[in-house]
Amino acid sequence: MKWVANDIDMYLGAKEYVDTVVLPLFPISFGDDIKQTTSMTEFISLLSIQLERQFKGRILMLPGYTYLKNNSDDVLVDDIKRWEAEFQNQKFNHVFYLTSDSDWRSREESFDGTLIWLPSLPLESMDEKYRNSILEDQVQQLIHLFVKKWQNND
Amino acid sequence: MSKQRVTRRQFLNYTLTGVGGFMAAGMLMPMVRFAVDPVLQHNAAGDFVVTDKKISDLTNEPVRVDFTFDQKDAWYTSEVTNTAWVYKDENGEVIALSPICKHLGCTVDWNKDKANPEHFYCPCHGGLYTKDGTNVPGTPPAAPLDVYPYKEVDGYLALGKAEPRKEA
Repeated sequence: MKWVANDIDMYLGAKEYVDTVVLPLFPISFGDDIKQTTSMTEFISLLSIQLERQFKGRILMLPGYTYLKNNSDDVLVDDIKRWEAEFQNQKFNHVFYLTSDSDWRSREESFDGTLIWLPSLPLESMDEKYRNSILEDQVQQLIHLFVKKWQNND
Repeated sequence: MSKQRVTRRQFLNYTLTGVGGFMAAGMLMPMVRFAVDPVLQHNAAGDFVVTDKKISDLTNEPVRVDFTFDQKDAWYTSEVTNTAWVYKDENGEVIALSPICKHLGCTVDWNKDKANPEHFYCPCHGGLYTKDGTNVPGTPPAAPLDVYPYKEVDGYLALGKAEPRKEA
């Protein structure tokens, strides 16, 4: 389910079925890496749309956490911990973070949720058909990851 | 010069009738159009999207067919890709099923789950459907999968808007 009124109505009516929350992490920077952060954000947001379509009934896809890339690790980890506490309050069994920013891999130990890191692809230089098939492949891998995680905990 | 001369009064009468007629028509036409509007409306089922799948290539094994169309959300037009599971039943009739699980809207997959071969399986909450899209009792979904109306366009499959099934 997406963070839109119609889906949230559905979520409120079927809360017991939605045990997974996904928070995409979007880096923003205006420095030298402005282009990289843009394509990371673009890639992850496209991917999250596809992923949400696949698992509409079991995951809640949040609009995403946007942060300044040059923030210190402490600030970011603190923030994610606060999110995580809220997810626990809301009884989500599975928490996933979706990002292209490799900096998160070193911070992964500091929080409980599963970090999915995917290197971003230069989607802007691909034609539409090719882009869709690439995204489709990536989503298939994610599906596998999600299903496995669910099976382990069921 | 004609013998019958048009008097000033006649001329004015003709002109006024003509102009008045136009004005009345200009007012009535939109009203009439408004009144019969439902008749003129495009039929939603008439908007078929041609896929790149040939009907003659279909077998009795469901295959995934993706098709893309433009969707308008207010002033914003976006390209939407929809998927259908398409096969021919034993009578050679084409069946195109929507992959959207009737439980909470996940995407179902054909023959993917090893424990349930020859079924449509929903990975979210284990919803099951038989090959013809009927939901298996005891699993979460309460209705069979939606069906796309289809047409043949130059040998290619064209799909309309998915409709819920009436029976069951």
